[in-house]
Amino acid sequence: MRPRFGIYAIMRNLLRAAVVSAAFAVVAGAAAARAADDPMEVVKVVVNQALEVLRDQRGPLHDRQEKLRRIVDAHFDFTTMSRSALGYHWRDLDAGQRADFTRTFTSFIQDSYLSKIQDYSGEQVDFGRATQPDPGYAQVMAKILQPGKQSVPISYMLKQRGGQWLIYDVTVDEISIIANYRNQFNRVINRNGFASLMADLKNKQRQLAADLGTPHAHD
Amino acid sequence: MYFHVYFQKIRRAGVAQLALALLLVLAALLTGGIFAAAQAAGDGAPPPASAPDRDSPPDLHGGQGVESDPLAPFNEAMFTFNRKLDDWVLHPVASGYAYIAPDPVREAVGRFLDNLDVIPRAMNNLFQCRLAQAGGEVARFGINSTLGFAGLFDPADHWFGLKEHPDDFGLTLRYYGVPTGPYLMLPFFGPSTIGDTAGLIVDGAMNPLDYLTPWYVYLSADGGWDAASALNYRSLHLNQFEEADRYAIDLYGAVQDAYLQTRVHHLKELKRGN
Repeated sequence: MRPRFGIYAIMRNLLRAAVVSAAFAVVAGAAAARAADDPMEVVKVVVNQALEVLRDQRGPLHDRQEKLRRIVDAHFDFTTMSRSALGYHWRDLDAGQRADFTRTFTSFIQDSYLSKIQDYSGEQVDFGRATQPDPGYAQVMAKILQPGKQSVPISYMLKQRGGQWLIYDVTVDEISIIANYRNQFNRVINRNGFASLMADLKNKQRQLAADLGTPHAHD
Repeated sequence: MYFHVYFQKIRRAGVAQLALALLLVLAALLTGGIFAAAQAAGDGAPPPASAPDRDSPPDLHGGQGVESDPLAPFNEAMFTFNRKLDDWVLHPVASGYAYIAPDPVREAVGRFLDNLDVIPRAMNNLFQCRLAQAGGEVARFGINSTLGFAGLFDPADHWFGLKEHPDDFGLTLRYYGVPTGPYLMLPFFGPSTIGDTAGLIVDGAMNPLDYLTPWYVYLSADGGWDAASALNYRSLHLNQFEEADRYAIDLYGAVQDAYLQTRVHHLKELKRGN
């Protein structure tokens, strides 16, 4: 990578992370949560179902968003994501604060992905291999193929919970989304405290929710 | 015969570059140090050191890590400066340029500028004993400069399957285990670290123009070239800040972490031989 103007390259990566994460949202539908004992199968089901919703543009937007939301809910471990996104600050919170944060962060992540529905432009997902770095954890590699552009590497991190594999982090262009939020959240908490982070997060989430269904200008 | 003159120039130019680098780093350290001291005195205890939470899953980041940022006050000021510079200068100019020149033209310009960057790419692959990749860079330059019309196109990749192997001296330093030091937000150049900034200067010193032309020629040529690269890149990604900001709670932190994660990953790939 050229370090010059790195800020732009980094912004591009961040963006791709955001734009491409339709594939994160790519988590899919209610029906097929069957293959829960193989991480690769789980990711395939999730991705394929979500791609189906993204491709099939008939029907009201709201219904399609609902479908995506169900897919996400069934296969993402929002509790683990929330805890991991707070890092060591999680321990300082009481049960009420944890629940409040988990609820807000869950909506925020969901709305981030739902807002991508308008940006989908025919991307395909090519599955790579799955590894298990630690017992109970798995990583599934894939590539987002964009027509006429470079492919974007994406990988899904999964954790086994009650016999089910659930996604708790996604890396896009080698950037872990949860680690990236952790750095942001820690900065806000260290300077302005947890209440301030909650306010910021709620604001952003409301904004995203209000914009759902509005097409975005992007590159 | 003329070698001694050439080397003298190298030495002089090298000293100038080095002095500039040292000044920059010193300024950063000083400003950062002063601010940090002032801040520590101001709001009491620094944030607690991160300790792993055993119930949390690992991530590619190696756990619960939060990026350290001892130069934060300096970096934040530079981040604000860069954003203002972008708002007031770069983005408006890039928009105008994008209006005049269609996408494919600007992409070709990007490839042209990138092609000229071959020396540091090849040299750093060489420094890391990645001979095939270093040779590949030289071959790419030869093919793209001729068949690719001065680098406007990339037949080396499309026809010969020769992919670019990006590399820089900041990575060479990391490759040999030199600690990269604190995160550093540079004015104009964006996110970096102390080590990556040193690398930036070494890579910059590999420009042959610096030794073959008088200082006022090469300084303006370098500056113009950098500005052109930035402008061209920005024109191809006009909504970048706006979009990233939509999903960020703290844009500074998002950029910082993305930069550091990307560098760590790139190093890992180099060590893996990719």
